[in-house]
Amino acid sequence: MEQRTIVLVGLNHRTAPVEVRERLAFGNGRLEPALRELIAVPGILEGAIVSTCNRVEVIACGADAAAVGSALPAFLAREHGVADPALATHLYTHADREAVRHLFRVAASLDSMVVGESQVLGQLKEQYGVAASVGASGRVLHRCFHKSFSVAKRVRSETGIAEKAVSVGSAAVELARGIFDRLEDKTAMLIGAGAMGELTARQLLAHGVGSVMVVNRTYERAMDVARELGGMPVPFDRLARYLPLADLVIGTASGEEFLLAPPLVDEAMRERRRRPMFFIDLAVPRNFDPAINDLDNVYVYDLDDLERVARQNRTLRGAQIGRAEKIVEEELRAFMAQAHERDAVPVLARLRAHGEAVARMEAERTLAAALRGLDDRQQKTVRAMASAIVNKLLHGPTARLRNEAGRGPLAEAAAALFGLEEPSQSQPEAVVLSLAGNG
Amino acid sequence: MELGLLRLATLLYLGATFDALAGIAMQRELPRWLLPRLLLGGLAVHGAAIILRSAAAGHIAVTTFAEALSFLAVVLVAIFLAVQARRPLVALGAVVSPLAFGLVLAADAAYSGARPLPPVLHSAWLPVHVVLATLGDAVFALAFSASLLYLIQERRLKTHRGRGVLRHLPSLETLDRVNYACLVWGLVLLTLGIMSGIVWAHEAWGRSWSTDPKLVFSLLTWAVYVVLLQGRMTAGWRGRWAATLTIAGFAVIVLSLVSVNVLALGNHGKAF
Repeated sequence: MEQRTIVLVGLNHRTAPVEVRERLAFGNGRLEPALRELIAVPGILEGAIVSTCNRVEVIACGADAAAVGSALPAFLAREHGVADPALATHLYTHADREAVRHLFRVAASLDSMVVGESQVLGQLKEQYGVAASVGASGRVLHRCFHKSFSVAKRVRSETGIAEKAVSVGSAAVELARGIFDRLEDKTAMLIGAGAMGELTARQLLAHGVGSVMVVNRTYERAMDVARELGGMPVPFDRLARYLPLADLVIGTASGEEFLLAPPLVDEAMRERRRRPMFFIDLAVPRNFDPAINDLDNVYVYDLDDLERVARQNRTLRGAQIGRAEKIVEEELRAFMAQAHERDAVPVLARLRAHGEAVARMEAERTLAAALRGLDDRQQKTVRAMASAIVNKLLHGPTARLRNEAGRGPLAEAAAALFGLEEPSQSQPEAVVLSLAGNG
Repeated sequence: MELGLLRLATLLYLGATFDALAGIAMQRELPRWLLPRLLLGGLAVHGAAIILRSAAAGHIAVTTFAEALSFLAVVLVAIFLAVQARRPLVALGAVVSPLAFGLVLAADAAYSGARPLPPVLHSAWLPVHVVLATLGDAVFALAFSASLLYLIQERRLKTHRGRGVLRHLPSLETLDRVNYACLVWGLVLLTLGIMSGIVWAHEAWGRSWSTDPKLVFSLLTWAVYVVLLQGRMTAGWRGRWAATLTIAGFAVIVLSLVSVNVLALGNHGKAF
């Protein structure tokens, strides 16, 4: 089996401003064709793309790490028609262990703009699903991504970072509290159907905001979301008419153009007698022209601004984050050791499996035949002894095999000595599953 | 005795100022417990000082510059505490405390013995006019405090710095509402203060009061606030613009207080 190295190239909210992120984002429709392009790049064997409001990352693996590493920025530049050098300043590249660590941290929401928020995991799962369905990802990425999901789960259940998550929504609530006296008599307007927007609207409602209007280009979708939130659907072409009724406006619509520009908002402000308005722009590309912020009594916050506000609250959770990072490191170590063993010395795994099988079989046979009547604890001792003997015997050979790293004379000798022939066909998991499904 | 009490009140107001500033610097919630109690203590001691002085003078002690400043401080603190009892707005105390401290410090600096009141001014109008006018000034000082906080809070929100250090400031809407309420009350009191002054002057001197500088300043203040109120009610002025005008109006009040008394202009500067 050939060696596959993982390389991750991307940019996030720390390395690139929202203007750059919005240019490089892969919208819903663009993900599939882009993935097909990606695996068509020579030297790339598997690939996946993660594109959220705060990051665009391409993860690929191939035999030659350096070649993959230089192919990915070019791929991103080509896909978005951006000049290569302009992009380079914003990109980071991680290879091998660092790439896996980065993926784990992203999944566990440690690399998020708002640490501990749970939305990123859902997005990761969804987008990995797309990569799997178009056949872009393979065995290596499959293992990596699935491990990252379980690491995220572990981090969430074992540390407090998720519960106390100071999310974008909470930052928005805090800012709303700075503007408005009470939220009970306020109305929010949700434009678009992004997951983040819906969550934020929910959070605002939970903190007392009186009512919510839902605007969507598809009226049916607006009705669905409005029903879920207990709000009122508004047809898209009536946006301007209903805008003066909104105290808080959340933008999560997709599209390249600004939905609201200063003249329209100014008109709305006149109609509402200059009572303050708070615009929360969660969309990338942005929905609201930043110039709206210059109007009196109007406050516009985009994702980056909310990040800055959230950061002020984040230090409180430093200890929890430390624990989460520790879990990631622990899982990373185990994962890499496993991967190393699996890839470098396939014979080793078979040898160990063989040894364990022998120990188990012999112990059970002895227990069943000669040592009947032992209690549980004694039985356990016998089993432990059997596997201890096997492990002791195999310790030297396995250590030497591991050092050999890869196929060498020792591995072949071990295979021959212990009668460990390679299985005639090794099928990737996914294929086996699909065959089983058909049969 | 009376000066000692005044100095004790000065210390208590200084304590309240430090308490408010420390609360802001340490980013904790503004002290809800200590600050109002320090001010309440200051109010009691300060009130006692004024009562002692008034008893000695035989009329309400507001006839020297120092007495006027000291009286304004005590009324400001009293109004703040009254508002505070109805609705906790401790953050306003962060402006009110240093204001009160500054006023009594100035009163201490300008301290002088009691000045005998000209017989022509011995009248029941003295306490009525002075209390109304001072109440008006104090309410506008409160409006000024709210407006100052408004501008700070507004700047932070506009420039996307979040609320940060000042996270425990009241919301913009609250501050704007305080500004509005103070504007209405302040105008009512100022109007009554001017009217009572006119009636009293007419009684005392006939017509010689009409070019009194204090009256000119008061009418100017009145005009600023009436324009602001009109704008708020019809044109929907609010927020930053309203806060700025409120501060401008208060600047006229301070200017009038300082120039009339320090330069001893007109009846308010000369006669008492």
